[in-house]
Amino acid sequence: MGIVGNTTRSPNFRRNRILLTAVLCIYLVYTLVPLFYVVTASTKTNADLFGTFGLWFAGEFNLWQNLVDLFTHQNGVFSRWLGNTFFYSLTSAVGAAIFALLAGYAFAKYEFRGKKLLFALVLGAVMIPQTALVIPLYLMLSKIGLLNTPLAVILPSLVFPPGVFLMRVYVDEAVSNEIIDAGRVDGAGELHILSSLTFRLLMPGFATVFILAFVAAWNNYFLPLVVLSTSENFPVTVGLSIWYASATLGSGGNLLFTVVMTGALVSILPVILAFLIMQRFWQGGLSAGAVKA
Amino acid sequence: MAVITLSGITKSFGTVHIIRGVDLTIGDGEFVIFVGPSGSGKSTLLRLIAGLEETTGGRILIDGTDVTDRGPAERALSMVFQSYALYPTKTVRQNMSFGLEVARLPRAEIDRRVNAAAAALKLEAYMDRKPAALSGGQRQRVAIGRAIVREPVAFLFDEPLSNLDAALRVDMRVEIAKLHQRLKATMIYVTHDQVEAMTLADKIVVLDGGVIQQVGAPLELYERPVNLFVAQFIGSPKMNVLAARREGELIRVGSGAVPLPFATSRPIAHIGIRPEGLEVVSSGEGHIEGKVDVVERLGSDTFAYVIVPELGTLTIRIVGNAAGIALDQSIGLRLAAGQIHLFDTEGRRIAEGD
Repeated sequence: MGIVGNTTRSPNFRRNRILLTAVLCIYLVYTLVPLFYVVTASTKTNADLFGTFGLWFAGEFNLWQNLVDLFTHQNGVFSRWLGNTFFYSLTSAVGAAIFALLAGYAFAKYEFRGKKLLFALVLGAVMIPQTALVIPLYLMLSKIGLLNTPLAVILPSLVFPPGVFLMRVYVDEAVSNEIIDAGRVDGAGELHILSSLTFRLLMPGFATVFILAFVAAWNNYFLPLVVLSTSENFPVTVGLSIWYASATLGSGGNLLFTVVMTGALVSILPVILAFLIMQRFWQGGLSAGAVKA
Repeated sequence: MAVITLSGITKSFGTVHIIRGVDLTIGDGEFVIFVGPSGSGKSTLLRLIAGLEETTGGRILIDGTDVTDRGPAERALSMVFQSYALYPTKTVRQNMSFGLEVARLPRAEIDRRVNAAAAALKLEAYMDRKPAALSGGQRQRVAIGRAIVREPVAFLFDEPLSNLDAALRVDMRVEIAKLHQRLKATMIYVTHDQVEAMTLADKIVVLDGGVIQQVGAPLELYERPVNLFVAQFIGSPKMNVLAARREGELIRVGSGAVPLPFATSRPIAHIGIRPEGLEVVSSGEGHIEGKVDVVERLGSDTFAYVIVPELGTLTIRIVGNAAGIALDQSIGLRLAAGQIHLFDTEGRRIAEGD
């Protein structure tokens, strides 16, 4: 007997399929329930937030008032935080993607002394949690006087080892050595070859690294919490957590709970939007037909 | 147009020595083909000439100028790659003009050259297409067009036809031959296909193990291979090589013997005979005896594979359909005297008068 896959009618297949579907359903629920909670909670009044069932809407639809509260509380500082988060994330992601592209390209296409060791370091860096680096980073930033500046958040975020790893693999796959050689024979320099011949082939990889770095920077909490100290520099994550802390202390009154929930909802919308926009860059296959048949 | 001189070229990757000392002069307008089996260093040698690899030792001269340390663009060569290596995001026109734009040629000159090449290669209808929308043969022509517009001092081809199907390969082979006649440019061409080598080359360079085995005109290599490697590499089906030993004026091969074709004092270890140098005769009347194992009838020719005791399987080429030959038939084989090649214990050719 050769190897034969299960047909869709075999009991074996049905059992496996049901099991798999069940596991995925559990995972789906696990992922979506908190999100759904945020959505419902942000439409409630403070009283309803604690007085009604958490996973369904209350009778009174209070979302607009919550939004008004969110953007007016403490003179509208939330807009400022949102702007900060956007600025930090965008610059970090663009920078991280460019560095990852250059490093990954070099690892994939050039031979140089110490390549294996350096790449091992990159892989090692993937394993180190960012959180572990926050204290040493704080000390370094303090020495060079960058504490409580945007650079304190952006500079460390430019280093994105998983991106380097991804780009190396992607460049290996998407760019043939012969295209680079052809560019060299045509007289183009290495950067010129990258920018005008191979970059567009790498767009899907670049977009992936960009979005990963963007989300990582958008969600970054601990680093900005430690290195930033004034409210006008905070990103949304740190700002909301401080509001939340003050709400639980009771100093700002219960009002803040719904504001924090609404703030959480507003802060995840741009990320979802970014994913949708970047999706069109994921289409691969650009290099089809360039090499071989 | 250019004369390219290689002197003492070596190339090693770490401890692996790919090219072990190559000296070669490629004349102006010559069509030179590097052939050799996989790993013989033929592609590496081409890449060294192109400047895509750095030499470990030796010097490369183009028209007397030492270009060993110059980059690929400064050598003013063009290269056609095995995979075509077209720029996938650029149109055919942009593919062809890219190198000229890098060189900052005036727009009018770029257009003139690209249009001329497009006309010569019948690519005008495809100028705004991307490579993905072209057939294999069209892509190959774009790659050649991209090489032509640079007006290089010499063309380098790295197995340019190996990705094409058999019929197209013959067409493109003819086109490349015409291109050479028209441009009269120096061309260096790498292939492992010895039919391409025999049909296109003015001069063939046979490489093995990073060393040049023989340089010569195609027929010269066919008729007077300097060693067993060349003897067996050039020619299809390949030359039969038989262990042999001298007995007076006879050469003993297996249980048979042939007369010594010419006087020589050197010890004979092998004789070579091409498939067309063997004549089928009745059993008992040949120099050696064998049994027909496989018969391939191609119409114009017939190849018979004959098992000869002590010697192995010999290939015989018979013109026509060889109706008289049947499987398992015992036959005699005569070796045509003028077609026997003698080789010494090191596998070197023994020439008449040696």
